[in-house]
Amino acid sequence: MARQSHQKCTPDFHDKYGNAVLASGATFCIAVWTSVATQIKIEWNLSPVSRVTPKEWRDQ
Amino acid sequence: MLATRVFSLVGKRAISTSVCVRAHESVVKSEDFSLSAYVDRRDHPLPEVAHVKHLSASQKALKEKEKASWSSLSMDEKVELYRIKFKESFAEMNRGSNEWKTVVGGAMFFIGFTALIIMWQKRHVYGPLPQSFDKEWVAKQTKRMLDMKVNPIQGLASKWDYEKNEWKK
Repeated sequence: MARQSHQKCTPDFHDKYGNAVLASGATFCIAVWTSVATQIKIEWNLSPVSRVTPKEWRDQ
Repeated sequence: MLATRVFSLVGKRAISTSVCVRAHESVVKSEDFSLSAYVDRRDHPLPEVAHVKHLSASQKALKEKEKASWSSLSMDEKVELYRIKFKESFAEMNRGSNEWKTVVGGAMFFIGFTALIIMWQKRHVYGPLPQSFDKEWVAKQTKRMLDMKVNPIQGLASKWDYEKNEWKK
């Protein structure tokens, strides 16, 4: 049965650039959010357990 | 008598909308938008009007041939008749697309832009952190909390090994 497929001949915007938009958007999002989480000195106030070494606080 | 009149009308339902429209043109000219439109929809499989409204000469000839026995039609002619009546086949109208890639990529771009706003805020809006967040202060604060045995049952002090003087593994 001779089937004519019309759509495949003319790729739309999403066919042409969809992968690029997805990859670049995801990369940008992950990169900038990891730098927000780690680089700009936001105090996350994480638990001291297994992270902080207690230090003597009494004055003498 | 009125009932038989109604029944005779109901029995003669074989007239298509296109024919009715063309018949009515002698009385009043209809605007294009007021007529039934052709749609490619799963839930509207047989639209009232055909896709191709104005047939070329060869298409008109084909429509005449359609009035004869259909076994005389070639495969290409049958497809041509289908394409006159319908724009996209069900497979074509139901096809998936790559639109989701643009949507998700665009959304992630704007979420990433939000992170830039937060960076700007940290630099230009927020004040300095209180001294109680300094590393040395937090270390002393932690020791004092352990000395006080804060939350010894399930909380902070319960995680500290007082014999070995280290955090429990």
